[in-house]
Amino acid sequence: MLFNSGIFALFFALFFPLYVLVRQNVFWRNVLLIVASYLFYGWWDARFLILVAISTSVDYMAALGAAGKPVFAGDRLKSAAFLLVVTGTCLAFASRKDVWLMPLVVAGILLAAGWLKVIDHAPPERQRKYWLYLSLFTNLGILAFFKYFNFFVGSVAAVLSSLGIEVEHISLSIILPVGLSFYTFQAISRTMDSYRGKFDPARSIVNYAAYHAFFPQLVAGPIERAAHLMPQFESVRPLNRSLITTGALLFVWGLYQKMVIADNVAPIANAVFSDPANQTAGMTLAAVLAFTVQIYCDFCGYSNMARGLARCLGFDLVVNFNLPYFARTPSEFWQRWHISLSSWLRDYLYISLGGNRNGRMMMYRNLMITMLLGGLWHGAAWTFVAWGAFHGAIQVVYRALHVDQLLERIRFLTPAGILIHMSSWVVTITLVMAGWILFRARSFDDATVIFSNLFGTEGYSRGTFWPVFVYATPLLLVEIYQRMSGKLEILNTGPFLVRHTAALSILLALVLFSAPGGQEFIYFDF
Amino acid sequence: MISDPGAAADGSRSSGCGATSRGRGVALRLLKMVALTVYSLAFAEAFIRVFSPQALVPRYVTGTAWGIRGNIPNARYWHQTPEVKVQYRINSQGMRADREYPFQKPAGTCRIAVFGDSFLVGYELDLKDTFTTQLEQRLRAQGVRAEILNFSVSGFGTAEMLRAYEKFGRKFDPDLVLFEWHSTDPDDNVRSGLYRLDDGKIKVDRSQYLPGIRTQDSLMKFRLYRIIADNSHLYAFIRERVAGSVKRLLLTRRRALHGATTTAPGESAADNQGSSPARNWSSPDIKLSAALLIHAQHMVIAEHRDFYVVEIPNRTSRTQFRSTVERLPPDTRERLKIISPLAAFVRAARPDLKLYYEQGHGHLTPTGARILTEEALAAIEGSPQLARCASLSGEGPPQPSGMDLARHKQAWLRGSDAPGHRGSQ
Repeated sequence: MLFNSGIFALFFALFFPLYVLVRQNVFWRNVLLIVASYLFYGWWDARFLILVAISTSVDYMAALGAAGKPVFAGDRLKSAAFLLVVTGTCLAFASRKDVWLMPLVVAGILLAAGWLKVIDHAPPERQRKYWLYLSLFTNLGILAFFKYFNFFVGSVAAVLSSLGIEVEHISLSIILPVGLSFYTFQAISRTMDSYRGKFDPARSIVNYAAYHAFFPQLVAGPIERAAHLMPQFESVRPLNRSLITTGALLFVWGLYQKMVIADNVAPIANAVFSDPANQTAGMTLAAVLAFTVQIYCDFCGYSNMARGLARCLGFDLVVNFNLPYFARTPSEFWQRWHISLSSWLRDYLYISLGGNRNGRMMMYRNLMITMLLGGLWHGAAWTFVAWGAFHGAIQVVYRALHVDQLLERIRFLTPAGILIHMSSWVVTITLVMAGWILFRARSFDDATVIFSNLFGTEGYSRGTFWPVFVYATPLLLVEIYQRMSGKLEILNTGPFLVRHTAALSILLALVLFSAPGGQEFIYFDF
Repeated sequence: MISDPGAAADGSRSSGCGATSRGRGVALRLLKMVALTVYSLAFAEAFIRVFSPQALVPRYVTGTAWGIRGNIPNARYWHQTPEVKVQYRINSQGMRADREYPFQKPAGTCRIAVFGDSFLVGYELDLKDTFTTQLEQRLRAQGVRAEILNFSVSGFGTAEMLRAYEKFGRKFDPDLVLFEWHSTDPDDNVRSGLYRLDDGKIKVDRSQYLPGIRTQDSLMKFRLYRIIADNSHLYAFIRERVAGSVKRLLLTRRRALHGATTTAPGESAADNQGSSPARNWSSPDIKLSAALLIHAQHMVIAEHRDFYVVEIPNRTSRTQFRSTVERLPPDTRERLKIISPLAAFVRAARPDLKLYYEQGHGHLTPTGARILTEEALAAIEGSPQLARCASLSGEGPPQPSGMDLARHKQAWLRGSDAPGHRGSQ
């Protein structure tokens, strides 16, 4: 179910009054949220819900165990029962040929029970670690199988083939469940925080299941931290007109970013990236600009819609994008782009690898590993790995040259300061755009063609760039105002008539200029 | 259920005041709401005018005594699109014409009755450029004392054309009857529900099909509404979308009632720009449409008149067009006399020449209508009915020879077709 679809509008119109009715009762509110979230997610494919339920059941127990709390038989039974009920319900809506999933789930439960026996007999300090391993194994295992199996097998076969060893290439027909990378990372972060003593997990599978599957952010984030979001599922959330109004405005702004900007510039990028060999320099540059705008508006738009919806329900989700294209250095870019993922990678990967604690060279290594894996998170293809490596490398260079510290020392409001800061911005946005070529290209060959196209001189005309200019300019003006005012939610401030007119303009633009047909959210595939 | 932090404070304030001040407060709030609504509407109108000007194409239609839509008699109105501004004059009989027609055909006159939708009403065309006017002039130029009676109404499908002929058009005693065929007709025929196929035969299903007419009639009584309908871009935008949704709903309902589902998911009724994909000939709506055309042909021929179907092709780009009659089963096409301008459109197509308007509602340009007229003329020249009544008329100038006719045709086609002519830009 997409936020920008009629079926979602119907879903929310039916859900919201029920939510308002039960919202004062935490238990029933969370039950309603679970049912609604599972319906929302299961709309794609009911079978995907089994994976959500596996992750929920395992991490409910794993967080308790990793925090050093006893995991009672009751907790284990609740987890197993939850998984079985979800599996049974899903299979009732799935095709008959999927019935084999039930014995598989039962076998999984028995296997997990065996592992729990091992944990129970281990020394207390080791037990916490084992619970953490269970969470990592489950979530990363799901991710590895559904997202990376074919990629790994294909890559190994290619390497062996290059060594002259021909092996039969096994390729499974695996559907990638939407949002898998997001909810598995969110589940890992909760168990990890419990293990590190940063979060105290409570003993309610209903609250946790509602948190885990919360529909506004289930499929494309933001990847929330338990310490921020989980308490909200354990209390009655305030809900007033102001929250609903500001939430709705944020949702509408996100919808505008997605449907008016991203979806309208997408065809320009698609045309060039699907056939880069037959493009002029001008068209290629316009396509790179278009994709730069598209990916930002697509993902930032989704995050804004998620935050807006959550706020309409009284929940607060973290800011995921903070004007990233104004960044003056690559590290600033990553502090502003997909903040919930970059902070996740920092806290659970970069710091776990040692961060900057073991000398400069180790820091560079850790940075490279983090960015490589961050690239791989975005998709099972070597172009994503190269994109991650590219961002890792430019960050290493910037750190080696201390560019961030130097820029900190230069005041902006002087002629030299303006020149230096603007130059830094131009270099950074150019690097970011170069990175998007790697990210969007279907192969390295295509990326090479696109890069070489850019060195041509043909095809630079007003008509080539006009569509990107038309759709990007209002966004640019809004973001300049956001940057200068220091407020991201500008629709919530200022005189009433100005806010009303701005909101009206966005709604009218949505109705008049939404791209026909629309495009899927790019990050659903990650 | 939803708490408002300011509500309690407001409540305590208002409870301390008297009934008068409370009433004043309510009135003030109402006034603010009205002012905000007026401001919002005015802003929306200005926004649409600046950023997305709409084609102003108000429909001046009403109900007729025979249970279907008709043009409002004696109406005068304008259509304005980014490409044209056109005035419409409807006579007292509901035809787009600047004269009246008696039921009794004048002696020595050939009458051709034309039934179609907005294409043959001549939407986006001045009266002089419409297919019917051009056809009449061309026939008269050839010495045939012809009267073209235009019974077309925007939105008509074959079913409504048939009903209009049965109940009204035949009273004018036409010699030739022309029915338009366009890709929207199969959907229109199902949607109207006027006829159904019963064991392969056409049966009357409903006596009336007047979608939205009662509302339209009530609103048209108000001058303010007419001003808004004629001039508001916001209204035009809303109207087109609401009408589109209602049409889709009606179609879905009719299909559900008759269990006829032929539209693939995501496929919608073709618009005037026409991009609806070809369909299965055995699908119920195509079968119904084909049967309606054959039924109309039988009825017309039984009354010793000649029957033709005029195809309006779909435009896929400025220089590419797609046949719409190919949607009809081959045996139906063989039995009908079809006037198709498709080949002529393809021959005439140039990147700098529009045969259909592209920014308004996608109807024919004067050039497109002229080519259609030429094709129709070539087809009906062979009509025995036309030959019979033309021979009776006897007053016109002598028939030009084949050579003269070809030269005349070339000159006439060039006519007002020069670059810079508004309709063809």
